[in-house]
Amino acid sequence: MLLSSEKKTADMRGAYGDTLVELGSDDPRIVCVGGDTTDSLKTKKFGDKYPERMFNVGIAEANLVSVAAGLSIAGKIAFASTYAAFIPGKCVDQIRNTICYPSLNVKLVVSHAGLTVGPDGASHQQIEDIASMRAIPNMRVLVPADAVAVKHLIKTIARTPGPFYMRLARPSSEVIYADKAESFEIGRGNVLEDGSDATIIACGLMVGRALEGARDLKRKGVSCRVVDMFSIKPIDRELVAKCAKETGAIATAEEHNIVGGLGGAVSEVTAETYPVPVKRVGVHDTFGESARDEEIDTLLEQYGLTATEIAKAVLEARSRSRK
Amino acid sequence: MIDMGFNMRYLDLKRRIRDVRMWAIEGIAEAGSGHPGASFSAAEIMGTLYFRRMRHDPSRPDWDQRDYFINSKAHSAPGFYSTLAVAGYFPPEEVRTLRKLGSRLQGHPVRYSDHQKHHSVPGIEYSGGSEGIGLSVGIGIALANKLDGKKNRVFVLIGDGESNEGQIWEASMAAGKFKLDNLVAILDRNRIQQDGFTEDIMPLDPTKDKWAAFNWQVFEVDGHKVEQIVDALNKAAQVHDKPVMIIANTVKGNGIRHMANNPQWHGKAPPKRHTEVLLEELDSECLIAPSIIAGERENYEDKIRKVEREGVDMIHLDVMDGRFVPNITFFADTIKKLRRSTSLPFDAHLMIEKPLEQIQEYIDARCDIITVHAEACTENEFKEIQERLIDAGISPGIAINPGTEVPEWLYHCLHDLDVIIVMSVNPGFAGQKFMPEVLPKMVAVSKELREHGFRGYVEADGGIDSTTLQQAYDAGAQIFVAGAAVYGGGDIHGSVIQLRHKAAVALEKRLLSHATQLNVRPDWMIARKHILIPYANELGIEEELHAIK
Repeated sequence: MLLSSEKKTADMRGAYGDTLVELGSDDPRIVCVGGDTTDSLKTKKFGDKYPERMFNVGIAEANLVSVAAGLSIAGKIAFASTYAAFIPGKCVDQIRNTICYPSLNVKLVVSHAGLTVGPDGASHQQIEDIASMRAIPNMRVLVPADAVAVKHLIKTIARTPGPFYMRLARPSSEVIYADKAESFEIGRGNVLEDGSDATIIACGLMVGRALEGARDLKRKGVSCRVVDMFSIKPIDRELVAKCAKETGAIATAEEHNIVGGLGGAVSEVTAETYPVPVKRVGVHDTFGESARDEEIDTLLEQYGLTATEIAKAVLEARSRSRK
Repeated sequence: MIDMGFNMRYLDLKRRIRDVRMWAIEGIAEAGSGHPGASFSAAEIMGTLYFRRMRHDPSRPDWDQRDYFINSKAHSAPGFYSTLAVAGYFPPEEVRTLRKLGSRLQGHPVRYSDHQKHHSVPGIEYSGGSEGIGLSVGIGIALANKLDGKKNRVFVLIGDGESNEGQIWEASMAAGKFKLDNLVAILDRNRIQQDGFTEDIMPLDPTKDKWAAFNWQVFEVDGHKVEQIVDALNKAAQVHDKPVMIIANTVKGNGIRHMANNPQWHGKAPPKRHTEVLLEELDSECLIAPSIIAGERENYEDKIRKVEREGVDMIHLDVMDGRFVPNITFFADTIKKLRRSTSLPFDAHLMIEKPLEQIQEYIDARCDIITVHAEACTENEFKEIQERLIDAGISPGIAINPGTEVPEWLYHCLHDLDVIIVMSVNPGFAGQKFMPEVLPKMVAVSKELREHGFRGYVEADGGIDSTTLQQAYDAGAQIFVAGAAVYGGGDIHGSVIQLRHKAAVALEKRLLSHATQLNVRPDWMIARKHILIPYANELGIEEELHAIK
């Protein structure tokens, strides 16, 4: 169960805001552009500390990302942040032509991705962003699983030139990486659990569920490998192919439409390297709906984003496996 | 007070912009596609920035003190590339590769970087093509420069078509909020977009009020008068705590008459077989310079105002000292006073002895062109005058009397010579008759001196009226000093129209004959039909034109 009381959780947005403040003190080139959501994105802390480096352009996302592009042209490392519904939702063209085509040093870090936005409903439940962002040349797409990952990856993208898209979720997430010395390399997945009968490749909030699903399956005698594929583009082709070869079946899990997201990215790799059955867990090409915060677990159950669904997916993929 | 006298070396600037148009049309014709309309409406805007007012260095495109230019209306790419080329960023011949596979000159400009070495040229800051974005990018650069305490300025060219985009107004609000006085936006207000006229597709007016309401300082200029653009840019540099919008009223396709103001030419290439004729048209500017000593002597300011309204190109100032010529007119102090009354370029013709001794007074009076007489200087004196004028941003000229041959020493000064006045009367008095015997000298000056590196303009001065203008124009003159022909009859409006009309007839005749030589006369006439109709009678092509469907 997500957010169950016995699990330790931490706020990804808070980790983003804190890390940005930390980076800002080391590097004066770090600037941030906000869109009337700086409190929500926790970038307000950065603005409080460095008011001259925080630019709030109001509810104008096309302008927001383009101003970030301009800042980067003049040598800044520009973080641009608002809700995932609007970046990239309202400005895919600006991201494509103005940022990605010239490969500008702009970091789009957005939150409130997926169904867990909750009460705001489908208009705010961004479930297509991984698909649209990973289809643009030069863009790199990251979906961290917890606050520790966020902290590491924000530092990494700040020192890596070029555009990045990083999606965060609204709720506090289960702590996956206790150890702050964990490694997060762009283009490398992290194997969290080893196993030999199947692999679960997950990202974001679904990583916790993947681990839970794997534990359930273990009790039934199925040994599952669990991979946190926080780097969806570039994806760890080598690891995906290795998992396909060694475990023979793959289930993917993401808080995103099953069309074009992590499941799509993994399937593309297996199809071209080592074809094995893949079963995708995610939103099944439909819009979400409102749910109060205390109803979010039920909402996720209704849309099939649970450890149980992941376990079922593993078994289905395995049943088709020729291994 | 208007700050006139522009340090813009007027004729050299005009010449460079002419070259830009010529390269652009050649590139478009060669490519078989592209946008001549926007390239031409924005030619003076981009030219004035790159050749005069922007701080930049083609040998150091990433110089961190440079001003930034963001071309938001990126479909003006052929004009933009040609401007960069003429400014020295790459060889202009490369414009011929425009839009072709493997070219660095993509259909829409691409920001130059390590990633895009093969699809861009140094000097391009911004990847455009999707409308309405560049102003936001300019804001980002301006914010960064302010943050760094840099003095660099950011110039953003936007279009009136792309002003349909909501993002333009998002950006407009933001620039006002951040009080970006290091940001200058220039609106190419040509009133035409792809589907037709802007005010039919999506009305933009009242344009000035809109931008002012968004907390911008707004200036409005004729976007084809470089002196007005320079003036607005000078004023923009004095504005504090506000971004500046310069609304440049322009003509889409300006420079080629059958393309001008015609939505059809928004994004269409001319046929390649017309290129030579089009180049000839672009190379056949006709600049009218009324001489204010003609007619009544008094009230020069009033006379200037009257011709300014008629859209003349410059004001010709005949300075006579009573020694080099028998008459006396006025001197630098008068010019200094008149300078405040107009932004029109001052074309000062010094009919004086020992011009080197007095040249500083005329520099200080802020003339834009200063011409001295070949008969009044030695080679060394002229070279010094030339050097001082160029340092001061003034176009240097030399005048030659009817009885004087082109001196040998002038061949050593051609590179930086912007104008040669071929006198068609003996100077000293207004109202004399044109001497046709100087025409061969005009032809010779136009042809021979050009072969030796002269790139400036030939100016005809003396007895120019609507008839002699045609003769001088055909002989290669492009600037026409019109005294009595403008001020003599009392109908200034009618006189200027008549001069322009006669020049137009002469031009159409010349282009038709060129088209005939190139075996493209029938389809040239089809493309040009709506231009030719009013001149059909004078050109003797009524029947031929009638036969064209």
